[in-house]
Amino acid sequence: MNIIFCLIIVLSTGILIFTKPDTVLQVISDSSLDCAKFLFTMIGVYAVWLGIMKIVENSGLSAKLAKALNPVIKFLFGEISDETKGYISLNMSSNILGLGNAATPMGIKAINSMNTNNCINKNMIMLMVLNSTGLQILPTTVISLRQTLGSSSPADIILPSLIATAISTVIAVLLCKLFVKDSSPRMGIPQ
Amino acid sequence: MNASVYIIPCIIIIVIVYSLIKRQKPYNDFVAGAADSISLVKGIYPYLIAIFFMVQIFRLSGLSELMSKAFSPILFIFGIPPELSELVLIRPFSGSGSLAILNEVYLLHGVDSYIGRCASVVMGSSETVFYVSAVYFSSLRGKGLVQGIAISLLANNIGAGIGCLLCRVM
Repeated sequence: MNIIFCLIIVLSTGILIFTKPDTVLQVISDSSLDCAKFLFTMIGVYAVWLGIMKIVENSGLSAKLAKALNPVIKFLFGEISDETKGYISLNMSSNILGLGNAATPMGIKAINSMNTNNCINKNMIMLMVLNSTGLQILPTTVISLRQTLGSSSPADIILPSLIATAISTVIAVLLCKLFVKDSSPRMGIPQ
Repeated sequence: MNASVYIIPCIIIIVIVYSLIKRQKPYNDFVAGAADSISLVKGIYPYLIAIFFMVQIFRLSGLSELMSKAFSPILFIFGIPPELSELVLIRPFSGSGSLAILNEVYLLHGVDSYIGRCASVVMGSSETVFYVSAVYFSSLRGKGLVQGIAISLLANNIGAGIGCLLCRVM
């Protein structure tokens, strides 16, 4: 991340020095304002979803969901605590339903509950990868944008999208299972 | 499309009714859960500002356009049309940024054109990988970050390529 960040900032700023140097100041104020707006929206939206999810948790609904998803979770993550299972099952079901704003806080809670020594372990990578391949039934944002722009059949991209996202999820899970290992000191193999 | 509008209202009703049946106090639970929001957002905020700044300077400087030209041969390997290279490049970084590019692609090539439908599939089947990784791993360290990002990007691009091929036949 450090390399990407430095490379993009230095190159972009370098170009701007020769083309339109005044833009840099504009970018600083614009991007920080955009980010602040976004954060305030998120404080609100996450609060509502965290509230709803707390109701789900305390009523025992999330435990039921976790039980139903247990085979999948067990295959993906192995043995994990019940608390983490609950968060992961809420995260996964929110993602599939297209509720990204409900999925993110649950994902962060799942990560925090798996955190033992502030190091990234393989289950965390699995969770992050599952969240970044975008498995969902309906790409609602795309469909509504197509509708606004007067598409004759805004929904005919659902099936190809679904197949594409299913394939990318399967590939990602396989790659994770194959290549991501916990770097534990018990293994005598030097890196 | 129409069915998706009912998902959220149904979930809310089911959740609250179930909680009442189980003799819980939904209001107290809701408030207790909502309290976590500010600390959650506070934790991810510095990472978000870095991404926002990076994406905006990347696009405004014209570097993203230059780089997407350089990247189009790589996209060709995955089977993604070169017209979509900027979309594919920005998509992992920013949801709002890639939505703006998607809009441009629609206006330029037409919503129902082959390119337009491919763009929809690329957008709809992938996620903001760097955003997700920054948010999830904000307080952690370790080499796993790079692995996770590499796997996600590779998988998303293979998926998108297959999606584009499907657009030809479907």
